[in-house]
Amino acid sequence: MTVDHIPSVADRRGSAPAPGPVTSRPHTSIATRRHRAFYMFASPWIIGFALLTIAPMAYALWLSFTTFDGISPRWHYVGFGNYRELFSDSQTWKSLGRTGLFAITSVPLSIIAGLGLAVLVNRPLKARGLFRTLLYLPAVVPPVGAGIAFKQLFDQNSGAANGVLNVFGIDALGWLADPYARYVLIMTVLWTAGNIMIISLAGLQDIPRELLEAARIDGASAWRSFRSITVPLLSPVLLFQTVTGVIASVQTIMPLLLAPDPTPAGITALPQSNYLYMMHVFAEYFAFGRYGYASALLWVLFVLILVATGLIFKATSGVVFYNVDPEAKK
Amino acid sequence: MRPHAGAAVSRRRFLSLSAGGAVAGAAALSGCAMRVSSAVGGSGETVTVMAKADDISPELIKQAQKDIGVKINTVLYSPSKLIAMMTNGNPPDLVRGVGAVDAPYYAARGVMEDLDPYFAKSSVLRPADLDPVNDLWRYDGRTQGKGPRYGMAKDFSQDSMFWYNTALFDQADVDYPPELDPVTYEEWLDKAKRLTRRRNGQTTVFGGSYNGVLTPNLLASLTVAAGGNLFTDGYSRVDFTTPEARKALGWYIDYCRTKVGPSIIQPDPNTWDGPTFQANRLAMSNSGYWLGGLINADKKLAPLSRLAPAPYFEGGRRVSPCQAGTGFWIPSKSHHKDAAWRVFEWFFGEAPAKARASGGWGIPTLKSLRPLMPAQEDYQKRVLTVQEAELKHYSVIAFTPYATADSLLALFNQIAPAAMNGAISVDTLAGRLNSAMNDQLKRGKEQV
Repeated sequence: MTVDHIPSVADRRGSAPAPGPVTSRPHTSIATRRHRAFYMFASPWIIGFALLTIAPMAYALWLSFTTFDGISPRWHYVGFGNYRELFSDSQTWKSLGRTGLFAITSVPLSIIAGLGLAVLVNRPLKARGLFRTLLYLPAVVPPVGAGIAFKQLFDQNSGAANGVLNVFGIDALGWLADPYARYVLIMTVLWTAGNIMIISLAGLQDIPRELLEAARIDGASAWRSFRSITVPLLSPVLLFQTVTGVIASVQTIMPLLLAPDPTPAGITALPQSNYLYMMHVFAEYFAFGRYGYASALLWVLFVLILVATGLIFKATSGVVFYNVDPEAKK
Repeated sequence: MRPHAGAAVSRRRFLSLSAGGAVAGAAALSGCAMRVSSAVGGSGETVTVMAKADDISPELIKQAQKDIGVKINTVLYSPSKLIAMMTNGNPPDLVRGVGAVDAPYYAARGVMEDLDPYFAKSSVLRPADLDPVNDLWRYDGRTQGKGPRYGMAKDFSQDSMFWYNTALFDQADVDYPPELDPVTYEEWLDKAKRLTRRRNGQTTVFGGSYNGVLTPNLLASLTVAAGGNLFTDGYSRVDFTTPEARKALGWYIDYCRTKVGPSIIQPDPNTWDGPTFQANRLAMSNSGYWLGGLINADKKLAPLSRLAPAPYFEGGRRVSPCQAGTGFWIPSKSHHKDAAWRVFEWFFGEAPAKARASGGWGIPTLKSLRPLMPAQEDYQKRVLTVQEAELKHYSVIAFTPYATADSLLALFNQIAPAAMNGAISVDTLAGRLNSAMNDQLKRGKEQV
């Protein structure tokens, strides 16, 4: 490209390109060359996406129509057999129901906890930086370490949780068994609310201070300001947290780390309340060696996530307030 | 509870084997009398070994290069990674496996190399010197224990035998089990109940642990001990409703229900018996001779610990099987079979095998290495006496080739807790296990 053909600032803003002498490539328009440059620079990602995302997904889709088990020579094509079986598999429906319940419980709780912490550490406190760091710290602990720690902490016979109960004369509880196991699982989610806190904090700091001051001068209480100014202005952040939270919660693998025996076969010994959809998928893949059936389960989950995300966007379209009109960006 | 595929590696075991490897290396360098194979080469090649970290230490890998001139690359053991590598046509050259359950499954699918021609030429691993436990790695297309050899065990235990802590027996005023005569399973459970100590809803001392290596394998062994066979119709079905299988299942559910030891409804956070036994919180552990590696290294625990024969069912058979026989096999699509065999020979018959034999972590799988088993201390001599008497009762208990033990265990884990918690009867459980496991076996049979 010669100096003459470097797009001007006006070009980059979308104005019509100024006519100029074309010397080296007379038949290639500037737009075509810009497209080429775009694809050339984007190609590492595009190739990676194709090889590491699209190809495995397509392979999994193909597997979902077979009885492939990884080892046996006589696997075969079964059409929609795996999908049909999926609808009659009680474990699928039960685990899906538990996963829905888990998402409905854990996502709002973790968003509320994260927002509460953000409001707290957004105040002009002494050692505010230290508090922010300490509250965020659990989010950077590797999940495996956290899982092991929780398992030790809540062990019925040697865990600290029951040690505390014993001090008060209360008999030990089986925290890692039904019905308490679900609460321990939710605690593991809330424990990492620092993640949500950081995002909410960024959102809070983006809220124009003059709006809050104007509300205060007008006599609005702190709660009214929070409800009528902070929450609406934070709504895009809350929507983001809801969507990513739902996706993360349906894909959650944390119960595996709380399993009595965290192996493919061992996770089926999880308390019923913690046997979520991904546990079922994991067991079908690695304990039962049913690669075809498990791939079908994953494809169904993928579609469900798309539907759930669409529904969330649809349901919140009237209550999410964008500072910049999204229509204007089109 | 014995760690199995996928379970965490004990630090002590890792250190012990690493040290063993170093000792073995020193012994090899000092020129100890060692047979060296001349039949197969492989020097200068690189062999990929899929193993757990405590199977082949970095010191042992260096030693292999010095001893046999073969470079070893290790890949961490993972069944899913193994499948991926095999699907890509680039399998590891040596793969870790649990002979008792893996051998029939993989051999039936034709992915294991028949090692008989190699054994026939070897001057290190002579068939006459192989302990009968290695028959776990034989499969004739129908039954485990017969036919070509597909692998070999690195060491073994008779896993239904149990260790007991005499101090905890004394504290609970419970009689020790007889030295050489077995107790019945009912007596074992009765002792376990009397040995268990509880306070404020917490178990401070577990009376006994009896989980075997993998529960389906344990149940198959218990059923044979009761005089029957869990598998029917050429190993293509299970039947938990026969009187013998029902007896075995009932006993195990009773063990879980009384919560005298770890189980899936009362898991031990350590995931295996070693640390709990070492902390004097477990009175009996059915871990076989293998646990002696840990016990011998603890000078306080060793004199208190004794090994006892495998229990039996009244009216049943006295059997004392090996439920693991962990070792290695060579995939039939390996690109370096000769070099892999050279590593195989070295690992199972030369310096590393000698180091393992003297470490106490299992019985050597070559009869000629038995004299190396630890016997310096009185308590070690006592253990050896019990162990040697027990070898007479060893037998192969064949496993199905139509399902992995993991898949049957996963089904058991899903269905059995209801019975362990008293929500369903053992008879109902037996019916549900039959239905779920036979579906899995049927699917497996269709693919072989």
